[in-house]
Amino acid sequence: MRLAVVAAGGASIAALAVLGRRRRRGGRSLRVERGLTALRLAARGGARYASNAPRLFASAGEHRQQLRNDLALRTAEDVAATLGTMKGVLMKLGQMASYVDDGLSPAARRTLSRLQDSVPPMSAELAAQVVTEELGSPPERAFATWDPEPIAAASIGQVHRAITHDGRAVAVKVQYPGIAETIAADLGNVALLRRMLKITAPSQDVDALLAELRERITEELDYRREARNQQLFADYYEGHPTISVPRIVPELSTRRLVTSELADGARFAELVDGSGWSQAERDLAAETIYRFVFRSLYEAHAFNGDPHPGNYLFRSGGRVTFLDFGLVKHFTAEEMQPLAAMVKHLCVDNDPEGFRRAMVQAGFLIPDAPVSTPLVVKHMAVFYDTVRERGPRTMTGEYASAVTRTFFDFRSPLAAYARIPRSYVILQRINLGLFALLGELHATADWRGIAEEIWPFFQGPPCTPMGAAEAAWRSRRPVGTNPVPFGQ
Amino acid sequence: MTSQPYSAAVGLVERYAAALVSGVPDRPEDDGFFGPASVTWRLAADLSGPVAGLRSVLIQALHPLAMAGVDQHSDWRRDPVGRLAATSAYVATITYGDRASASKAAGRVRAIHEHVRGTDSVTGRPYAAGDPALLLWVHAALVDSALEAARLFGTPLAMADADTYLAEMAVSAELLGVPREMIPDRVSALREYLDGVRPELRCTPAAAESMGYMLDPEGMGEEIAELWQDLRDAALVALPGWARDLYGYQDPPPLTPERRTEIRQTLGVFDAVFTAEPGVLEARQQLTLRMRAARG
Repeated sequence: MRLAVVAAGGASIAALAVLGRRRRRGGRSLRVERGLTALRLAARGGARYASNAPRLFASAGEHRQQLRNDLALRTAEDVAATLGTMKGVLMKLGQMASYVDDGLSPAARRTLSRLQDSVPPMSAELAAQVVTEELGSPPERAFATWDPEPIAAASIGQVHRAITHDGRAVAVKVQYPGIAETIAADLGNVALLRRMLKITAPSQDVDALLAELRERITEELDYRREARNQQLFADYYEGHPTISVPRIVPELSTRRLVTSELADGARFAELVDGSGWSQAERDLAAETIYRFVFRSLYEAHAFNGDPHPGNYLFRSGGRVTFLDFGLVKHFTAEEMQPLAAMVKHLCVDNDPEGFRRAMVQAGFLIPDAPVSTPLVVKHMAVFYDTVRERGPRTMTGEYASAVTRTFFDFRSPLAAYARIPRSYVILQRINLGLFALLGELHATADWRGIAEEIWPFFQGPPCTPMGAAEAAWRSRRPVGTNPVPFGQ
Repeated sequence: MTSQPYSAAVGLVERYAAALVSGVPDRPEDDGFFGPASVTWRLAADLSGPVAGLRSVLIQALHPLAMAGVDQHSDWRRDPVGRLAATSAYVATITYGDRASASKAAGRVRAIHEHVRGTDSVTGRPYAAGDPALLLWVHAALVDSALEAARLFGTPLAMADADTYLAEMAVSAELLGVPREMIPDRVSALREYLDGVRPELRCTPAAAESMGYMLDPEGMGEEIAELWQDLRDAALVALPGWARDLYGYQDPPPLTPERRTEIRQTLGVFDAVFTAEPGVLEARQQLTLRMRAARG
């Protein structure tokens, strides 16, 4: 094959050619090993936001900390040079693509993850400038105490600790100045984005994916939306025995600033590796995460699309604090109905034809596809494996990989007739993110029993102590708030 | 002329990344011939670099003797990427290396040039790679392209900075054996020089073939070819009209602000991919730190 030659000094111009070439060479054989890697990458994805991660910047040692400070972005021009001209968009794309498609070539993966690593924090002065512009007074006055050292990086901002004038310890996420405008402009170059997606995620329905990613990224640029979503979740889970969501401080939250209560707890890595945590504790934490994801989905019709390991803080007894609501998808009742119907037909009614009809209704399968219903069920069953029967089941990395593998099995006889409609693109995170996370915890539970509690068409009795505590919490809630879809 | 095909280039990105990384010293003895406060360092980091590179080669190839030297003596046809990567590594060493490393690299190139002599089959004229006139041509095309690409697609230099850049860069031509007094060290002098050389320029078959290939390389995937198209358009827009005329390229449509933004976005994508290569981010961070320290 003849490859591009490149002008002297134009070192980077050929890089893309190789990217594409590798993708083809990688082909299908690599898919198998990519399952969990997607999640690990997301986990590694560098410095993701978590409101109490004091070690994130310093984790690689003092020298690195110093380096980051010296490289800090000092002006809006620095921000534009670092994150402008598509780089911020690529970073966001990488974050999302890591769960949207495991078909990323290793080169694309490396590029996107290195890109995240390449973003230094803002200087204390630049962060203070943003706070001043947003709140009308400098951080030292807007807050009783302001820590100029960021404690964590967010994808398009960073997190500072502060204490409000009424004495609350808070995490303040500050957006890079100019980044929203830059990313919005870059998202306008649809042709280039489409090419990038074709190169990095060749197996996807590029237009649906692109439309969804553009919408999600655009939403993330306005922190007010994130604040609203976080508050919705916080209100919804108010008083929950094990789920907590830090409350928003609305008067200190703006388009480029989210202020929420500072939470505290152990990181995911500590939960997995730390000697202080038993398997029983890990099982409980997993149960809480599972309940959170599916209660939010089935009852509130909302899905937090960023169940990245950095977005949880753990305490004993399965108590989990959920952070970062920058990527929340709200579903309409019409969008939820076929999803629930699929589960019901397959797992409860044992009605394969009904399952298939629901799949077609959702748009996952084209009508009149020339494949037999048993084959459809056989292919799809893996996604429902953990909720087909009652009894304890252990989530494993192997299961998560199998789910991912099936999802991306383009050799399957179903592949030609299967689609992922745009509104459900984000749900792949359940398959690629949640199961991988629970697999890493090696969590055991009666997942079917828990699902029966949550399924709106089943409303099963509590099957675990946590379920009982949750039922008590639900019964205490005002009448009419169960269920309460957040709406659009 | 030969019809030997250009061979497939393996390890393309790695070689280019290695070229930059090799040129950025870990523990330099001094700041080299330019230094962290120089305009040269600032321009070398500009987003428009790939356009500058492509434009530079397009202009250089129009000198029949320069083209013949490359075509007849180097690995150009067998390994075009390697040939250009070697030039990249050299330029990086001259730009960022300490004086000893830069001088040593220049000495090596001068020694190679000793053996590059011959007769151009098109014009029938003899050539020698060490000929200051040819070396100056290559130099002038490079610095002119860096300025023009930055003006159109990067961060343009103020006129005074452009003059400073040319004065700074004179040493790189001098290191290869061009007498100082021959080297344009102001924008106005560079214009005069380029105008003066123009009668000697022509598009030889070797130039047409090589550059045709560079602008429209075969074997790239469809999507990548589309990205390449942006780069090619950028280089053609940046070319002087006379150079386009010599090649017989059509004049591109005028550069609208929208088109400029699109091209910058494509350059950003190229830059992101390059940044991901091993050592590139670290090398760039090191340069940024030194530049910041120098500016105080």
